[in-house]
Amino acid sequence: MKEITAIIRRDKLPETKKVLEDLGFPSLTIQSVDGRGKQKGMVCDNDLDPDMPEKFCTSVKLTPTPSTYALEHTLPKVALFVPKRMLTMVVPDDLVTKIVKSIMSVNQTGKTGDGKIFVSPVEGALRVRTAETGGEAIA
Amino acid sequence: MKMIRAFIRPEKEQEVVLALEGAGFPSLTKMPVFGRGKQKGLQVGPVHYDELPKMLIMMVVNDGDVTKVVNLMMDKSRTGFVGDGKIFVSPVETTYTVRTGEAVL
Repeated sequence: MKEITAIIRRDKLPETKKVLEDLGFPSLTIQSVDGRGKQKGMVCDNDLDPDMPEKFCTSVKLTPTPSTYALEHTLPKVALFVPKRMLTMVVPDDLVTKIVKSIMSVNQTGKTGDGKIFVSPVEGALRVRTAETGGEAIA
Repeated sequence: MKMIRAFIRPEKEQEVVLALEGAGFPSLTKMPVFGRGKQKGLQVGPVHYDELPKMLIMMVVNDGDVTKVVNLMMDKSRTGFVGDGKIFVSPVETTYTVRTGEAVL
């Protein structure tokens, strides 16, 4: 069994759910999270993220004149975050590649901020209602 | 690769994030959570708080960086009082970048 944790754009959630349903894996956990990657949460003008809160966009759009430079360096530094959706699902070993591929195919926009997918091992699973363990619990 | 999940005080979040950024680890995911520890919450006079707000910081780093990141997080989020939080490290087999489709961190 493997756990797939995918951090994706908010507006791609319905399509992702649809594609997983078509594969026969409707069961998943969804969480609203804030995150950032290599770009430290900042976006350039040409690839503005529609999910970005308004105040973050304006702070990044400042043109670098000496006065704004001085202003930016006197302001206390804050960490920027982008709202994302985190999907968690536990799947059998042999289907991991297929599921990862299909999540990636619907979520690719080619711009930064498409997200990450992590695959990690899970030792056991248990269905609470029937106390089934192992493979039957996630089937 | 390892996944690090750190449950820290919400007020220490900004400090930890900026320290990690300075050390070259800007990528992370955070979410607000509620939980309790060994002390079963907090007793303030007659009022008992069973679940306390915490910030969960989740990040995936290469095996060699785990000690550095964990030490940094501990340094920055420690106050010395009950409720400073816990850090868990678990294995991650593969990481995919959605934009490029490559299996690299």
